[in-house]
Amino acid sequence: MSRVTASRVITPMVLHDEQLLVARLSAGDTAAFDEVYDVYRPRLFAFLLRMTRNRALAEDLLDDTWLRLARHATRLLPDTRLGPWLFTVARNLYWSHRRDALLEESFVPELTLWPSPAPWPSPFDLAAASEFERRVERALAILSPQYREVLLLVGHDGLTPTDAAVVCGISPQALRQRLSRARAALAEKLRETPAVAVFKKGYAT
Amino acid sequence: MTPDDDDNPDEESVLTSLASLRSCDVSQRRAGQLRRRCHAMLQADSSLKRVPWTVNGALLRRHIVPALGGAWCLAYLLEIIRCTAAIYGYFGMP
Repeated sequence: MSRVTASRVITPMVLHDEQLLVARLSAGDTAAFDEVYDVYRPRLFAFLLRMTRNRALAEDLLDDTWLRLARHATRLLPDTRLGPWLFTVARNLYWSHRRDALLEESFVPELTLWPSPAPWPSPFDLAAASEFERRVERALAILSPQYREVLLLVGHDGLTPTDAAVVCGISPQALRQRLSRARAALAEKLRETPAVAVFKKGYAT
Repeated sequence: MTPDDDDNPDEESVLTSLASLRSCDVSQRRAGQLRRRCHAMLQADSSLKRVPWTVNGALLRRHIVPALGGAWCLAYLLEIIRCTAAIYGYFGMP
């Protein structure tokens, strides 16, 4: 089973640096904003893209996330953890959009006749360099959003379970249980989707 | 299921595989546009913060409007008391 070496580099901010950054952000320092923006923008975008499976929507939600940071920067508390703060905003925007979309579909059933906002192959499917990565992306995409988000936050974005619990608004204990179930579900999906089937399904439409 | 149930090596490798998924980003043009919008918002907000007495929406909403409303109510109350007192002759003939 081949694996692609990740080009992603997680650069977790040291707490002291983060507090300095928050202080500079509160003072309206655009250089501080740029530091945060450069570190977290790709991570947030990848998270939103994998949650929404829709590039345009992910870009819009990314814009909203950063504009919220800019709008609230002067009111950030000194002990704000920027990573969890940003992922919380992004996640809440995603779920808010999802609720609105579901509500619209329930009121206007004809809308479901239009193509779903999860077209295949996704940008990730096309960009995936290896068969294994395609399988993981595909398996991840068909998981429930609740499982997908905990797997992405902990497994891909490197948040601690405690931080991920804050982002998801649940207790750390509940998050660990959800993570455990999500891992089992992902492993199951990977077993169910052999490489050839993934390839065929992924490019069938 | 408990947190201790995650000892399955297969599931462990699945979690590790997630870390190797590639990252992606918006286009440089879009990233630049968003950066500029955020800078403008950040600078506007911080300039208002540096000059606390600038009349902005928040200051008006939080302080000036309640103060004016309160002053008007107080003046109205005092005027009623004065008129009532005048009617009953506390301040001489009505």
